[in-house]
Amino acid sequence: MSTNLELPMFTNNSEAELGGRWGMVIDKDLCTGCQACVAACSMENNVPFVGEEDAGYGRSMQWIRIERLWEGLDGDYREVKMTDYQPLMCQQCHNAPCEPVCPVYASVHSMSEDLNLQVYNRCVGTRYCANNCPYQARVFNWRDYADYRETNTADNDPRWSVFQNQLNPDVTVRRRGVMEKCTFCIQRIHQAENQAKAEGREVRDGEFTTACAQACPANAIVFGRIDDPESMVSLAAETSRGSRLHEELRTMPRVTYLAGGA
Amino acid sequence: MIKKFFAWLKQPLGLIAVGIVFLALFSAAVYGIYTTQQSPEQPIQFPHKTHVAFGIQCLYCHPGANKGPAAGLPSQTKCWGCHNQIVKTRDSALLAPLKDAVLSGQSIQWVPVAMVPDFVQFNHRAHIAAGKNCEDCHGDLSQMTIYENPQVLNMGWCINCHKQSAGDDQALLTKLTDCGTCHY
Amino acid sequence: MSQQFSRRDFLKLAGLGAATTAVLTGCGPSSRYVKREPYQQMPEYNAIGQSTYYATTCRECAAGCGLILRTFQGRALKVEGNANHPLNLGKTCARGQATLQGLYNPDRVTDPVKRASRGSDSTQPMDWDTAVQTVADALTNYKPNEIAFLMGTAPDHLFDLVTDLANAAGMNAPIRFGALSMFEARATLSKAAESLFGQAGMPSFDLGGADVVVSFGANFLETWLSPVSYTREYARMRRGNPKQRGYFIQFESRMSQTASKADEWIPLRPGTEGLVALALGRLVAEAKGGSLPRAFSGVDPAEVAAAADVSLETLEHVAHMIVSAHTPIAVPGGSALGQSNGQTVAEAVLALNALVENVGKSGGVFLSPLSPNQDAYHQPASAKEMQDFVNQMASGKFKVLFIHGVNPVFELPKSIDFKGALSGVEQVISFATFPDETALEADYVFPDHQGLESWGYQRVVTGTSQQVISGAQPVVTPYFNTRATADVLIAAAQLAGGKFAATLPFKDEVEFLNSKVSALMGEADGSFTAPDPVTFMAYFQQYGGWWNKSDVRVSAGNSNPLNRNIAGIEADFVGSGEYFFLPFVSPSLAETGANKPTLQELPDPTTTVMWNTWIEMNPETAKELGIENDDVVKVVSDTGEVEASVYLYPAIRPDVIAMPFGQGHTAYGQFAAGRGVNPSDLLGAHFNEAGDLAFAGTKVTIQKTGKKRQLSRKEGLIGVYEFRPE
Repeated sequence: MSTNLELPMFTNNSEAELGGRWGMVIDKDLCTGCQACVAACSMENNVPFVGEEDAGYGRSMQWIRIERLWEGLDGDYREVKMTDYQPLMCQQCHNAPCEPVCPVYASVHSMSEDLNLQVYNRCVGTRYCANNCPYQARVFNWRDYADYRETNTADNDPRWSVFQNQLNPDVTVRRRGVMEKCTFCIQRIHQAENQAKAEGREVRDGEFTTACAQACPANAIVFGRIDDPESMVSLAAETSRGSRLHEELRTMPRVTYLAGGA
Repeated sequence: MIKKFFAWLKQPLGLIAVGIVFLALFSAAVYGIYTTQQSPEQPIQFPHKTHVAFGIQCLYCHPGANKGPAAGLPSQTKCWGCHNQIVKTRDSALLAPLKDAVLSGQSIQWVPVAMVPDFVQFNHRAHIAAGKNCEDCHGDLSQMTIYENPQVLNMGWCINCHKQSAGDDQALLTKLTDCGTCHY
Repeated sequence: MSQQFSRRDFLKLAGLGAATTAVLTGCGPSSRYVKREPYQQMPEYNAIGQSTYYATTCRECAAGCGLILRTFQGRALKVEGNANHPLNLGKTCARGQATLQGLYNPDRVTDPVKRASRGSDSTQPMDWDTAVQTVADALTNYKPNEIAFLMGTAPDHLFDLVTDLANAAGMNAPIRFGALSMFEARATLSKAAESLFGQAGMPSFDLGGADVVVSFGANFLETWLSPVSYTREYARMRRGNPKQRGYFIQFESRMSQTASKADEWIPLRPGTEGLVALALGRLVAEAKGGSLPRAFSGVDPAEVAAAADVSLETLEHVAHMIVSAHTPIAVPGGSALGQSNGQTVAEAVLALNALVENVGKSGGVFLSPLSPNQDAYHQPASAKEMQDFVNQMASGKFKVLFIHGVNPVFELPKSIDFKGALSGVEQVISFATFPDETALEADYVFPDHQGLESWGYQRVVTGTSQQVISGAQPVVTPYFNTRATADVLIAAAQLAGGKFAATLPFKDEVEFLNSKVSALMGEADGSFTAPDPVTFMAYFQQYGGWWNKSDVRVSAGNSNPLNRNIAGIEADFVGSGEYFFLPFVSPSLAETGANKPTLQELPDPTTTVMWNTWIEMNPETAKELGIENDDVVKVVSDTGEVEASVYLYPAIRPDVIAMPFGQGHTAYGQFAAGRGVNPSDLLGAHFNEAGDLAFAGTKVTIQKTGKKRQLSRKEGLIGVYEFRPE
């Protein structure tokens, strides 16, 4: 059976929409799997921890995960190879599969920034979007993880609230029953845009970056404007090593992965 | 049992009972809604109108409004800096909470009135930059004692103004009605 | 009729009424309004609604990366790298990011306390005046040579302060130690450099300039020496030269995170790393022609290949890669050094570098520069020196022990019985921030500030081509009733009077820092200049430290390092088991991460396991033993045994069992305590020639327990996972 991928909602409407606005390039050859991006993202975006049991059920809330796969498992252990680490976050698809399935329009497209948004106050927790995401980039608040007392019901110690001193006031703290995902650090985007507007100029390339790209010790993540052909991210995406995940689904993701190897 | 109950309700005594229950619930609802519309109790009955009448600019006490998200509350030493020099206010009973706070090093606990929910990321600076004045949203403070919202700060009110401000500019309209502009 | 209106129905109606009231009042003022407190007095460098940024130094390991902390209205919100800092150039690792969870952590020691008895949870809070008096009494009531200081690996201002104090008063010189320095085998590296090049110092490897990297167990992408700077150099090696991508070969019996990034991972039999390095040297020397250097003349590559369980073709291939490279480099580290012949391995690998003539050249081996305020390279104590220290403790030589920034009860192998030796010490005073295992055995805990609340500086030992003194300043006011250890010592010295007071004539820690930092004013080539000490100190804090502008790495001297014998021997292993035991430092937890929940929940890069300890075992081995994933097995060595779940790891030699170090705490806060097991319980007191622990020199047996405990892992078990904790 052949699948028809030419559904109207998944076809390109115009060349202009191909341009996009914000994009990311991840060099898998440089990624060492060190998890600095994951920690930086969690710290910037008020991503809570869930504890051992829920983490075992696959409920950990991190917005990035670093995938790694094995090759050559059938042969001798000497021949076993690990694929390059692949940090995977929301790909900010232009034709996002998560958007049309949301019954309450909580997963919507930002027309002005060309990002996928998750509107927490609309979300009713159907989790349709997560089921429809081919990248499994969405995470769900199964409990009130952000209220740290919830993660340890046996210990209702008020001292737990000390963790809350560190919450970033620019990012909403999510409650139970809400879907969430990587936002490309939209709070940083807005801050840079506001600053640029106040100074009467455009946002300069490299003026700000996402928390993950900022932390990455190997500089494997580059973030910026992909509609500017001179930006770092556009130049980085230009190489022959570049590809996008699940391009065949016509999701038009905004993250380009550079393959490792020679 | 339920059938008998409904039969009982239809006779006059029952109707009176229904009326009483209805009135009780209705008045409780009215009272409930009424309480939501009351200004909260503040530690000091701060008279905005007096300060505005002296010609003090909004930004003198709320200097964050044109720089960042929060307009901010003045530190209590800033209040006391002026009030300490005015004999009438220095020993005024109304300002005793301020004096106590400054002398004891305790914080005054104000109750913010102009508030948006947690999931709204409101930024004063963008609104000032767009040419809005304080009174456009907060009303005429020269007539108020304790601040009261001139209207309910809900999303319909926000969007309404956003749409009007955008006018015919489609790009601006897209930006100003984008969910991600306020919710993230 | 009305009597038929039962009580039950009345309750239903009443319940409805109550619910309505609850809903309505739920919208009422009490739940709608919050309280907002303005500053009592706003600091003038603060602006409403604006973040303030402070430069400071990361204290999560001894590397000394520069941080910029975003603070907002007196709270620290986000760690960012200091882009000007020469060590990390604006980057951080995961542990640096999570340092905030050490600051805002519910389990910190909140007040100075006196413990009811050693090991007991019950404590008596004290006030700081009494605490300072206790320290002063300890200094005066005992003879100077009965007082000992044990400190963390980082060479920081507190180490300088204690050194000054010890020198002046005739106390024992402070000893620095840490789990990372134990697993990095720092003494071995510097002693090998000294023996080969005739000059002591910490070798530094310029990976960024190399085009072929051959690493012998060095885990430089994980926790080794200075992981952020080595990761950056790795990236430069790979993609820094647009014409040629650098090539990376790793010899290691288990595919570590570092090895997983290698183009070729070559598993060899543990203990043969030195032989392989020498054989490679011989093959390279033969390919280059000329006379064979003495260092490599004693080995036969074919025999080595057989001993190492690697094919001769593989060795010849690697030798060919080295010969045809422009700037090849060989790096010794990790488990290769933690063996009975560790120093020989390091010498053999350094000799390989000397053979390809990259010593002191770009892409080669250097010695890390000393800091300008440093007379010689003071390495942290090796495990052997720690054992001597422990023996002295046990024999009653020390009457007072001060411990700061290190947790030896947890970190040292159980067979070096630190906990037991404490009974030989009359008074143990800990300055721990967290109630760790060592603080639990101390009579007093006088908590220091967490790193983000403290003043200080720290010398950067290695990882950069410049001399760097990284500056630290408090980014927030102390959250709990803690006090800087330097302040406590200065105050106690004043109380104690005499030599103590004369050595530390300072008002507080900051005045001490000023005296040390302003000494840098005269240095040429500094990153900034200032007309007076006050401005100099301000710049020092603003930029996050002082460093010089040019490359001052030391090119090691000896003209002919290869004209000597290097013993071509295999390492000895202790124990009767059939499996080589390979402990490695958990990349995400390392030595101080276990108390931070975000780090606990970071998946291990290679196995994706979270929150617990696992035992890595080759699936073939497991099949032979009848073990499956998540089966709990007992690992038994001559000195101890631990139980943990098995993770079937495909990229490990079938005769090797590996375990991460970092879990297994019995104290150290609720996120660490009672979680996982500590592999150092299995290690005996065996050392290499340089005195570092032969942590990879143990053999163990595996026993089935019949129990099963699911490991919580990130990798694809979604939908099929059945979580069954014990």
